[in-house]
Amino acid sequence: MKFDGSIYLAAFLCLAATQATAQTAPGDASVPTTGPISGYMDFHFNKGEAADGVLDFHRFVLIVNHSFSPRIRFVAELELEHAFVEGLEESGELELEQAYVDFLMTRSFNVRAGMLLVPMGIINERHEPPVFQGVERPFVDTVIIPSTWFENGAGVFGEVGRGFRYRAFVMAPLNALEFSADEGIRNGRQKGSRSDVRNVAYTGRVEYAGVAGLTLGASAWSGKSSFLAPRLDVQVRVGEADVRYKRNRLELRGEFAQVSIDDAERLNLTVGQLTGVSPNIARTLRGFYAEGAYRIWQQGAGRDVVGFARYENYDTQFRMPSGYIPLKQFDRDAWIAGAAYYPDPDIAVKVDYVWQRSLSSVIIAPNGFNIGIGWWF
Amino acid sequence: MRFSTSLAIAVALLMPGADAGSQTPKRVVRVSAERFAFTPSQIVVDAGEEIEMRVTSDDTAHGFRITGTSVNVVIPKRGRGEVSVSFRAPEPGRYVFECTRMCGAGHHFMRGELLVRNPSASQSRK
Repeated sequence: MKFDGSIYLAAFLCLAATQATAQTAPGDASVPTTGPISGYMDFHFNKGEAADGVLDFHRFVLIVNHSFSPRIRFVAELELEHAFVEGLEESGELELEQAYVDFLMTRSFNVRAGMLLVPMGIINERHEPPVFQGVERPFVDTVIIPSTWFENGAGVFGEVGRGFRYRAFVMAPLNALEFSADEGIRNGRQKGSRSDVRNVAYTGRVEYAGVAGLTLGASAWSGKSSFLAPRLDVQVRVGEADVRYKRNRLELRGEFAQVSIDDAERLNLTVGQLTGVSPNIARTLRGFYAEGAYRIWQQGAGRDVVGFARYENYDTQFRMPSGYIPLKQFDRDAWIAGAAYYPDPDIAVKVDYVWQRSLSSVIIAPNGFNIGIGWWF
Repeated sequence: MRFSTSLAIAVALLMPGADAGSQTPKRVVRVSAERFAFTPSQIVVDAGEEIEMRVTSDDTAHGFRITGTSVNVVIPKRGRGEVSVSFRAPEPGRYVFECTRMCGAGHHFMRGELLVRNPSASQSRK
């Protein structure tokens, strides 16, 4: 981002703060309030085929919030992954996934700045364990859309009419030098840690939720992501569309996501020169899934059993730059079937089985059995 | 107070000149809350109209507050009943209603609008 752009952004945020302060409605007590603390936890047992079982306290998340006034509010989400942090990501991660200030002005126009979730797909903004089916998040929302995808930025959000919602943010971009063949753009997230904003990314999402039970959504992200290799021109674009429908005991979900990476051929050459290994980064990644869930049993006071099945297809080598051959083990699909028991609407005891396949006849994608307890408080 | 029984809260909103003894029938509006939206998210009423909002949740407990008024209640979790709020629609204008209980990453997106019209203006449009 050019220096001029920074000034405009700062001026815009100052104006938003002034407006939010000036529009405090009569009758709203302007007493600052904090908390209470809320959050969610995710505790898993994972048993892959031909592997030892693993007990993992996957996520420990605390959310704090503070209202400076009814219209100026702060929210932060601090996440500890895999219970223990020892310098390297393999042991665990301590992440500031959200930390923003909202300037709430009108229903249709509000301003947010700080550490933000990228408004992309079903899961990235709705990842509390009782909200989604399955012990682990969908593969498409992990490998194609790198959930949880968070970054520094600022932007606007709101709702107009009967259920048309939007978010539009300017954020720090991805770092293309960290892209890979198997996990796509996931390792390119700067995660708000001294994020380089020589270039910025633009992202937005529109949703329609005007009909009871139905939510339609579409998201986009675009950013030049080769700031560490200025002679490259790696423009990355992510597009996504999703639908959720709930009627009586039935819930259906579907999502499609595609990533395109410009100049992938020269990106591969550059990373190869830097590391000595060709990363085999694709120019297009694609994934989609469809899921059906049914409330098999329900008892009073919010106790339920939900069964589900999901089919996912995800390929991080969907289209390759010229001269590169796709690695077939990364063209994968999976069936996931399982159930969740809710002793309380905020607690989900989950069990599922994952059948994975890849197009490779040499490297077999392992099946797996998972048990999990997730809760929101 | 148990959430398994409906919570009835009568909220008399100030409307200068309103006839408190009016016999106009109460209009029932059903609102559903779920991370991170109210459905419907826009409710249109006439000023002075008697309104009863029956609000349920399809997941966790949410808050329900109409800014600029004294309506501020907790919506019980799924399967634990509804909260009922009765009030007389205030002066014409736009009133935001919102979730006041942290419910997840998209909590601040959970906002709707009570659009209160001038009854004489809405009659003339019919």
